[in-house]
Order: sequence, then C-alpha cells, then structure tokens
Amino acid sequence: MIDPRPAVIHQRLAPVRRILAFASAKGGVGKSVCSVLSALALRDRGRRVGLLDLDFQGASAHLLLGAELRFPEEEGGIRPLRVRGSLDFMSFAAFSRERAVPLRGREVSEALLELLAVTVWDPLDFLVVDMPPGIGDELLDVLRLLPGPEFVIIATPSAFALQVVERLLALLQELRLPVRGIVENMAHPGGDTAVAALAARYSLALLGSIPYLPEIEALLSSPNPLAGVLGEPMRRVARKLLGDASGEIS
Amino acid sequence: MHEWALAEAVVATVEKIRRENGGRPVLAVRLRFGELQNIEMEAFREGLRASLGGLQYGPEVFLFLNEPAAFRCRACRHEWPLAGVPGIGEEEREAIHFLPESAHVYLRCPGCGSPDFELSAGRGVSIESVDLEDD
Repeated sequence: MIDPRPAVIHQRLAPVRRILAFASAKGGVGKSVCSVLSALALRDRGRRVGLLDLDFQGASAHLLLGAELRFPEEEGGIRPLRVRGSLDFMSFAAFSRERAVPLRGREVSEALLELLAVTVWDPLDFLVVDMPPGIGDELLDVLRLLPGPEFVIIATPSAFALQVVERLLALLQELRLPVRGIVENMAHPGGDTAVAALAARYSLALLGSIPYLPEIEALLSSPNPLAGVLGEPMRRVARKLLGDASGEIS
Repeated sequence: MHEWALAEAVVATVEKIRRENGGRPVLAVRLRFGELQNIEMEAFREGLRASLGGLQYGPEVFLFLNEPAAFRCRACRHEWPLAGVPGIGEEEREAIHFLPESAHVYLRCPGCGSPDFELSAGRGVSIESVDLEDD
C-alpha cells in the first residue's frame, strides 16, 4: 500500500519562503507564547506570516491568539483560518475544539501528514511552527517532511530547562541543522547570563529576552499584544530573524 | 473541496512512480478509500480530472475500492466496525472527514470506554498498486 500524501507536501509548502520551527525539548518554557508573539511581530513588520500549531495534544496557540475555532474553508484543500487580521493559522484544535486529543506516536504522524498534505497556504514569507515539547514524533516528522526548517530555540533561565534544551541543541548540531538563535523567555529581572552562555557555547545568537510577566495572559489577549512591554523585545527578535541568513551551528 | 488536495497527492505519487520507472505509460491505478474519512467521490473525481490535465493518461485508469473501517482496542482487545458506532454527530463526522485522527477525540472503545484504540483498516485514501506498461 502506498501513502500518496508525502509526494504533495513540498508542493503545498512551495509558496512558503522560510519555515521557522520554534522548539524546546523542555515543556512549559513558553514555546507557544514565543511563536505567537514572533509571528505577530514579523507580521507587524510587513511580512506575510502563517502559524502552524503542531502541539496536537497540548494545542494552545489558538487560545493565545483568541482565535475562534471553526472548520476550515475548503478550496483545493483546506484553507488556514485567518486570525488577528492577517495571520494564517492551522491547528488540530480546529477539529478537536477543546477536547482531549489522546494520540499515540503513529497517529500523531498520520495527523501531521494529513494536515501538511491538505492545507493550502497562501504565499508566505514565514511559516512559524509551534512545536510540542520533547524530541519525539513531531520533531522527527518535521525533519523528515518539511523542506528546510530553521530552528528557533526557546529557553528559560531555569537550570533544569537549560540542561534539557542543550540536549536538543546537541542533536540539531549533530544533524547539522540550521538554528537561528535562542529566545530567552521568563527572563529574570536585572538579567541572567545562563541562556546567553548557552547561546555562546553553541555560537548562536541570543535573539531576545522576554521578561517574566505575571500579566502575560492579559497582555496576549489585548487587541495589540505588542503595544506595551512585549513590543521592544519582540521587535528585536523579529529584526534578528529578518536579518539573519547565517548557517548552521558551528 | 479538500478531496482535491488528496486527488492531487495521488496524481503526484503516480507521476513520481512513473518517472522513477523511465516514464513508462500508466495502465491502471488501484485506489483504496477508507470508510472512516468518508470521501465524497464526485469531488475526488473532479480533483483527479483537474490534476491529470496535460498528462498522458486520464481518469479511466483509476479503479476505486472501498475499505470498511475497523478498530481494535489496545486496552481490552475488543474489535469493532465503524457501522453502528453510537454517539457520532454531524460535527464529529465532519471533523473525522477532515482529519481522521479526530476519531480518537470523539470515539471510545464500545467494550471498555478506552480512547486507546487503533484503526486497523479503512482510514483514508491509499494507493494499492500502480501498473505501468510492461510490468
């Protein structure tokens, strides 16, 4: 039996100039917050941006975006939802709504293949991919199926988080995959050198630091989350992602 | 219709196989349609016709076979067909049509209530065989 879906994925993603996979082997470090904010920051700089939530079991990007979940429109495939004005968005949550998604690895891969094969993206400068935690099926499928993904790593100053994140960096380095830099989330007031030191050890850019903000959820649900305290750090991340065309981890 | 995207994937795959075999003419393609995804056949045929434009073979080489969906519970080993599964409304059917893995969101093992089941047959569209000239 032959699976027809892989043959069409590159064609589906042909209108996408760059794929940025926001990843961290550690859970709870703010991958979704960083990917959503980065997508909005890139969009605010005039780029056409899509956001793909691949955290099937813990989908939350739609919550951060305040996106109304509905079935996608059909036109030659399924069309991403249009959210926050001009952001194209796709998530398993469009089909599962707010119910639990109990999937094993094989089913995760099937769902990922299906979404990639049938989602029709408009021309995009960036497709931001919100990756799930861990180094499991979704990461391996992204490496297997997506053309030229570039990684953006999310870390917090927590020593535990950093140790787990470093394992992912070591794997990406071993595989000679491009990492565009590290975003520090939940940064301590007054700064901390641990994430910067990790970036330096891997010759990576520190793309920006997002402070620890207890009010982050309220900020995200405001009409323009980048209008206040999040604006400057996220504009910095966007500038660096736009300016950076550097290669693999050295 | 999202059936078009799947038809396009089928044609892309057949073309890949044809290219890998020296561009030999396509005689027959057998497609299996899993019951779970509930593909609208007319929409699929339309997508097929649109994707085949300019190629040297037409929709007549495609043979369609239906495959009933079957589930097996990993927890209690109970096996059951899709037909007669209670509790699937229109919304749930639509979600499963778009993304068959949504079945794990909405269905449970009728034997023990577990969500930990596998789809042993009849998921979606697959290619059973591609016959090329001189095969």
